Amino acid sequence: MNEKKIIELKNVAKSYDGEIILDHINLDVHEKEFMTLLGPSGCGKTTTLRIIAGFVTPDTGDVVFEGTKINDVPAYKRHVNTVFQKYALFPHLNVYENIAFALRLNKVSEEEIYNRVEEMLAMVNLRGFEKKDVNLLSGGQQQRVAIARALINKPKVLLLDEPLGALDLKLRKDMQNELKNIQRKTGITFIYVTHDQEEALSMSDTVVVMADGKIQQIGSPTDIYNEPENAFVADFIGESNIIDGIMLDDYKAKFSGQIFDCLDKGFNKNEAVDVVIRPEDVDVVSPEKGMLQGVVDSVTFKGVHYEIIVTINNFKWMIQSTDYVAPNQKIGLFIEPDAIHIMKKSEYSNMFGDYSSFSDELEALSDVEALEEEE
Amino acid sequence: MNKKSLLQKAVAAPHVMWAVLFIIAPLFFVVYYAFTDKDGNFTFDNIAELAQASYLEIFLRSLCFAFLATVICLIIAYPIAYFMTKASPKTQKILIMLVMLPQWLNFLIRTYSWMALLEDTGIINNLITAVGLDPVHMINTSGAVILGMVYNYLPYMIIPLHSVMSKIDSRLLEAASDLGCSHFKVITRVVFPLSMAGIISGVTMVFVPSISTFYISQKLGGGNFDLIGDTIERQFQTAYNYNLGASMSFVLMIIIMISMAVMSKYSGEDDGGVIV
Amino acid sequence: MKKTRNIYTALVFIFLYMPIFVLILYSFNSSNSTSTFEGFSLKWYRELFSDSATLDALKNTLILAILSALISTVIGTMAAYGINKMQNKYVKGSVMSVTKIPMMNPEIVTGISMMLLFVFVGVMLGGKSSLGFGTVLIAHVTFNLPYVILSVMPKFKQMDKSLPEAALDLGCTPIQSFFKVELPQILPGIISGLIMAFTLSLDDFVISYFTIGSGFETLPIRIYSMTKKRVTPDMYALSTLIFVSILILLLVSNLVSDKNKEKMSKQAKKITKIVLSSVFAVIAVITLIVFIASAGKETVTVNVYNWGEYISDGSEDTYNTNLEFEKYYEEKLKAQGKDVDVRVNYTTYASNEDLYAKLKSGAGGYDIIIPSDYMIERLKADGLIQQLDLSKIPNFDNIEEQFRNPFYDKDPNEKYTVMYTYGVIGIIYNKDKLAPADLEKIENGEAGWELLWDEKYKGQILQFNNARDAFGTAMYALGIDVNNATDEDWQNAYNKLLMQKPLVQSYVMDEIYNKMESGEATLAAYYAGDCLSMIANNESLGFFYPKNENGEYVTNIFADAMCIPKDAQNVEHAYEYINFMLSPEAARANAEYIYYASPNSVVINNEDYIDYLGEDYDLIYDPDFNNLITANGEEITYIEYMFNTYAYRDLSDESRAKLNSLWEGLKVDSASFGSGIYIICAVILVLLIGFIVYKYIERRRHRRLYWNNAAQPKVVVSRNDFNSTAMYDAVKAELEATKENEKK
Repeated sequence: MNEKKIIELKNVAKSYDGEIILDHINLDVHEKEFMTLLGPSGCGKTTTLRIIAGFVTPDTGDVVFEGTKINDVPAYKRHVNTVFQKYALFPHLNVYENIAFALRLNKVSEEEIYNRVEEMLAMVNLRGFEKKDVNLLSGGQQQRVAIARALINKPKVLLLDEPLGALDLKLRKDMQNELKNIQRKTGITFIYVTHDQEEALSMSDTVVVMADGKIQQIGSPTDIYNEPENAFVADFIGESNIIDGIMLDDYKAKFSGQIFDCLDKGFNKNEAVDVVIRPEDVDVVSPEKGMLQGVVDSVTFKGVHYEIIVTINNFKWMIQSTDYVAPNQKIGLFIEPDAIHIMKKSEYSNMFGDYSSFSDELEALSDVEALEEEE
Repeated sequence: MNKKSLLQKAVAAPHVMWAVLFIIAPLFFVVYYAFTDKDGNFTFDNIAELAQASYLEIFLRSLCFAFLATVICLIIAYPIAYFMTKASPKTQKILIMLVMLPQWLNFLIRTYSWMALLEDTGIINNLITAVGLDPVHMINTSGAVILGMVYNYLPYMIIPLHSVMSKIDSRLLEAASDLGCSHFKVITRVVFPLSMAGIISGVTMVFVPSISTFYISQKLGGGNFDLIGDTIERQFQTAYNYNLGASMSFVLMIIIMISMAVMSKYSGEDDGGVIV
Repeated sequence: MKKTRNIYTALVFIFLYMPIFVLILYSFNSSNSTSTFEGFSLKWYRELFSDSATLDALKNTLILAILSALISTVIGTMAAYGINKMQNKYVKGSVMSVTKIPMMNPEIVTGISMMLLFVFVGVMLGGKSSLGFGTVLIAHVTFNLPYVILSVMPKFKQMDKSLPEAALDLGCTPIQSFFKVELPQILPGIISGLIMAFTLSLDDFVISYFTIGSGFETLPIRIYSMTKKRVTPDMYALSTLIFVSILILLLVSNLVSDKNKEKMSKQAKKITKIVLSSVFAVIAVITLIVFIASAGKETVTVNVYNWGEYISDGSEDTYNTNLEFEKYYEEKLKAQGKDVDVRVNYTTYASNEDLYAKLKSGAGGYDIIIPSDYMIERLKADGLIQQLDLSKIPNFDNIEEQFRNPFYDKDPNEKYTVMYTYGVIGIIYNKDKLAPADLEKIENGEAGWELLWDEKYKGQILQFNNARDAFGTAMYALGIDVNNATDEDWQNAYNKLLMQKPLVQSYVMDEIYNKMESGEATLAAYYAGDCLSMIANNESLGFFYPKNENGEYVTNIFADAMCIPKDAQNVEHAYEYINFMLSPEAARANAEYIYYASPNSVVINNEDYIDYLGEDYDLIYDPDFNNLITANGEEITYIEYMFNTYAYRDLSDESRAKLNSLWEGLKVDSASFGSGIYIICAVILVLLIGFIVYKYIERRRHRRLYWNNAAQPKVVVSRNDFNSTAMYDAVKAELEATKENEKK
């Protein structure tokens, strides 16, 4: 990966009406990187993006672009373009004119405009749509126009603010691929904002997990998934069982009344820690073979696997298994040392990780709310 | 089901009857009087009389005054409507209230009070002479008449402009500046075309009353600048020439219909675009 | 940037509020001037509450606004429901277009179209009283309807169609479903429609002006007839009160709703909404009750239609004629054993022609009217006034012999009128601004009409804004007989006026008060009584009666007389009122108030009255006027001679048409007025068209390359197609090339 920094945020803070939106964050964006800002609504990710775009001025801290401080450069002079949430296409212009908009501002010759617009239309696969009224396009088509419009000026950095939020699932998957392709082909740095963790993991080079105006973790998708730094990240990325534990010694952790071998070290002796175990990393075995024993509360068929909720020491575990077990059956759990990930206690400890009140429907509901709040 | 839906539509019957009796029928009478003489015989004389140079000049003058008043209203109202959208929602609400508040006072008395301001020995000239400058003759000029129109109808320009502008998605403005528009270009390239509907409805709401007013010119123009409205009023209130008055009204209606048709060509259909 | 923005906003608001500040300021003025502030006083507020005519007008306006708002809301809501259910696009479209006509049409056209309808129908039904409260109400409902419909319609459109279905499914009858489910949904639309209708009706002047009938005056109409003369500052006081109360109302409702948003739930919001609307409803009900209550008692109403400012009305502690009459007549009726309320319904007009237009258009129902001489001739000829029974007017004996049988009512055995006042037209001038030579001429009694044609006073001369009087000045100046003018005479008079036009500051009627008193104008011909009133307010004004070369007074004399219209409803009370007006107290009070000459011997010879007038007595009752002269072998006073010679007679239809068309010509002719406006207009128009053309061409240019080349859209969704295009590499290469260029 190219190590040249293109954007640096240094100690940037922002608050509205006394409410802290961004709490002194530091972030480096490298050239040709596909970076995703991931977090629940209200975490400050969109504000970060808008600070880079120039729509929001930070209260303190600097925004540096290719080594130059650009705090006071207005949005229209920055070499940064944005794909807006819900696209913000100009309703009074057709597809061609929307894409040509930026070029028309700079007295570019008609021929060149034509060539470049056609190029962009080809790139987003919309040739032949020039005369169309943007209001009559489907969501996916509007999305492509928005991308073409933002790219035509050849920005150094493209900012994408939840660009796929309004699309249905199938189209979203297609567009993810297209975006990834475009990024690779053009070599433009993408900064992508989303609250969809799956999207973040599948597309990005670097994921920045944010919550409460702070950066929780920066890392590659695999790092983020496998080595979450705290309970928030662990819970937000994928499904996790987060259990209170004690680090007896290096490579020795105690939780659920048992002592387990693990691969983590560097904690104080007997330090209280959070233990993360991913549901798919737990093997279901017969009770006698299991390191832990429990009774199955419920079983849900999920297609690829079964989702099993088991109660052990009053903690509800979620386990994903391809083998069927019956409810009320007593089972044993087997956990490999490399399936155990130990984290320091944080402000998010004990907030997540128990599946006692889990239901798919509730999760879906909270997603909807998150979307509504964003608007 | 059929009977029921018929019954549902029948609820509109009182209005339809009302409209036929009190909207269509009166207009029919305007046309009737416009094309008959005092004894009720069909004639084109009334319309022909309007072709006299003097009446043509009245029509031309009314058109000009109304046109200028509309243009000035637009020029004054556009920036203020735009600035208003930049204020917080609460301030916006108060500003709109303040724009409409003068309209609660009768327009006759507001116009009358402009006389007190504009007279040669009026308040403004007293201030000017107090500062040591020569007084400016303002009352009884065409400028005073246009000022009266602008004053009275300015709110009808500000309100529709503001309501259209406040509906423009702020992301569109951001998108424009993101793509390289300076503040000024954001306005000319995005805000202006998107506020076209407001401009059209504001222009209509200022132009129509301006061209037909009959009080403002009498008071602020000192009776020197008769407009169509004054002339029509005189036919009905002092000259008793209903036929001539009706024919002028008829022509006025045609002028307005034409100008509306021209403008709606640029605006497209918008249903129920009422203000407030 | 922000600063200029704020300054600009502030400037616009100053512009919007400047006249209102003026109005508020002068409502506290201690004098009745509207141009100079002479000290703080609350007297106009006191005046306001004793001005029953204005308060009546306010009440009428409210009643009209409430009734028309309610009716139009009911009809409009029903209509919106029905129209929304219409499926046929064309029927729906045409109903909507017709509905919108009153919004699109200029008000004046709506007003006159309805007037024409009402007059026509009135004539068809017998030509009596076709205009009245009902007609204004109909007119107001008509122009309110579109606003109500357009504010309710969207609510019906937005309403979830399955809601009423759900209600029906759950067991509501269609009617229950309407009231329980649909109505609450559309209620906000109905309320905003109602409020809009109410405010529109409250403020309407133009449409009311053309459709209003007798005995019913709304506030805007009253203000209009006042602005023709002089707006008394109590109207300013009323406007200030209205302004302040609306400001408070808006602020309160704003604050309440803001609090709602922060603290209260939706329900609480609803409750305040209900409270607000019920407050509105309560106001409505109270006004109606007051209306009904006052109408409920047995009331004797006398409808008087008079000139503006033409009666002693109790302002500034004067004698309140109408109030005194009410008291007097109530007592008299009581003595006869009838316990009733007497109410004088007093409305005003601004010119004889207005009066005639009203009577002619069928707005009958007046019991007393006070037209001028020539108009009386016409009303008599048209059969619009009735013969009087003098036995019912014992005070007629107070009228001086020479004024009992004036030319318009000559036959002593067939009386139609009782003279109220008479007056002579003279010339008022400003001593400070007139040339000494001219002053001397006036001093010596040598000045005549030519002064009004003096180039020296260009832009300082006022002329009548009334065809008859304006032509009169020209004819007296030219020595033309005003009552027997030939076509040539008319034309000469017209030319004379045309010559004067460049010198004229403006054509005015009672606006003259302001203009002369403030020193804005220097010279004008006007009615003697008014001139003396102006002199009382500004000492540098002077006044004389113009003479011809022979030293004879050549000027108009006029008389206004009380008559009873043919279709009067309360003839008995009308007699009573006329008789009361001739009584010593009332006649004297009115003579003192109006300042016109009185034909009433108990006034003329009253010592107090003579004292009151002082020097003016000899100006009003010029001793020369009583000189006896011999005309046609008969010995008469000069004043009788003037009546016979110089007073206006009713013109033949032909002459009147001639006069009107010449007057039109004069008013319309505007050689003096610059063409600058047209040039500005043309320039703007050219710029505008240029801009549109430029935009059009620009668009053509922009479209040139792609508009015709663009292929029909292909199916695009396939991802593979997208990945495999070689186009990408081209794009990338191109991008890199430009990047390198940039580096260089």
